[in-house]
Amino acid sequence: MKEELASALAAEDAAIWAYGLIGVHLKEGSEQDQARAAEDLHRVRRDDLVEQLAGLKASTAPTPAGYELPFPVEDRATALKLAVQIEDGVAQAWRVVLPVTESTQRVDALSALTDSAVRATKWRKLAQVTPLTLIFPGRPTA
Amino acid sequence: MLTGAVRMSDSGHTRRRVLGASGALAGLVTLSGCGLFGDDEEPPKGPDALQPVLDEALALASAYDRVILADQSLSERLTPLSQAHRAHAAELARVIGTTLPSGAASAAAGGADTVAGLRTAELAAQKTAVAACKAAPAGRAALVGSIAAARATHAEALR
Repeated sequence: MKEELASALAAEDAAIWAYGLIGVHLKEGSEQDQARAAEDLHRVRRDDLVEQLAGLKASTAPTPAGYELPFPVEDRATALKLAVQIEDGVAQAWRVVLPVTESTQRVDALSALTDSAVRATKWRKLAQVTPLTLIFPGRPTA
Repeated sequence: MLTGAVRMSDSGHTRRRVLGASGALAGLVTLSGCGLFGDDEEPPKGPDALQPVLDEALALASAYDRVILADQSLSERLTPLSQAHRAHAAELARVIGTTLPSGAASAAAGGADTVAGLRTAELAAQKTAVAACKAAPAGRAALVGSIAAARATHAEALR
């Protein structure tokens, strides 16, 4: 379970980092607010995971110094595209936690998966990408 | 001692790798319990715990189809959601080891035949799937969890 939680932590860290880039390219007001709220929620999940891993006496790997962007983010369209990709990635990381957890801990992991999937749908809506939903959120598509 | 130093370089993973990290595990999660004993009929042990999730998926798919039939202008928006429910039903049937009823299964109108009604039904169905995911054995948790999340995204898409 440590490994799966550590992957979720890495995904949350990546999301926090990415939203720093995404926000500045979005429209001021509700879009930027939405990005800020998403970043805050990823921070909450991240902090929870750090606590859980500490409880399991697992060392949390330090945040990698450099992330690679999958594509340049230089305008609203690419920022929204990255936001969708980030949330899909976080959903994937949490889905893997489901089989290795039980009961309320599994429900918490499912909440994280679901929240990311719903945010991905919101970003697709803003980006006018269709379809707005994935058939199996969190399942790797490749 | 040297290997310790060499291993350190493994932690320099990129975000790209993080995003794809779960890929290798995905194939493992749907080990179904079907077909081991051929076609011999086993004594029925009561409905499978995922049967209600499957029934709901089919009922939702039919409800979408009725709404689309009544208003074709909604087709582009709603058809992917209807298809998603059928894909869920197909996977659930495979995992349960049952076959899907052919043809129009639920002739009875569900009373949810408006977009708002569909949204309410999605949120109710999400709850069913969350409960089923919580109770599921490890091998089924990822599939049912994805279905629960999908229902939440459908509700969001209908807003």
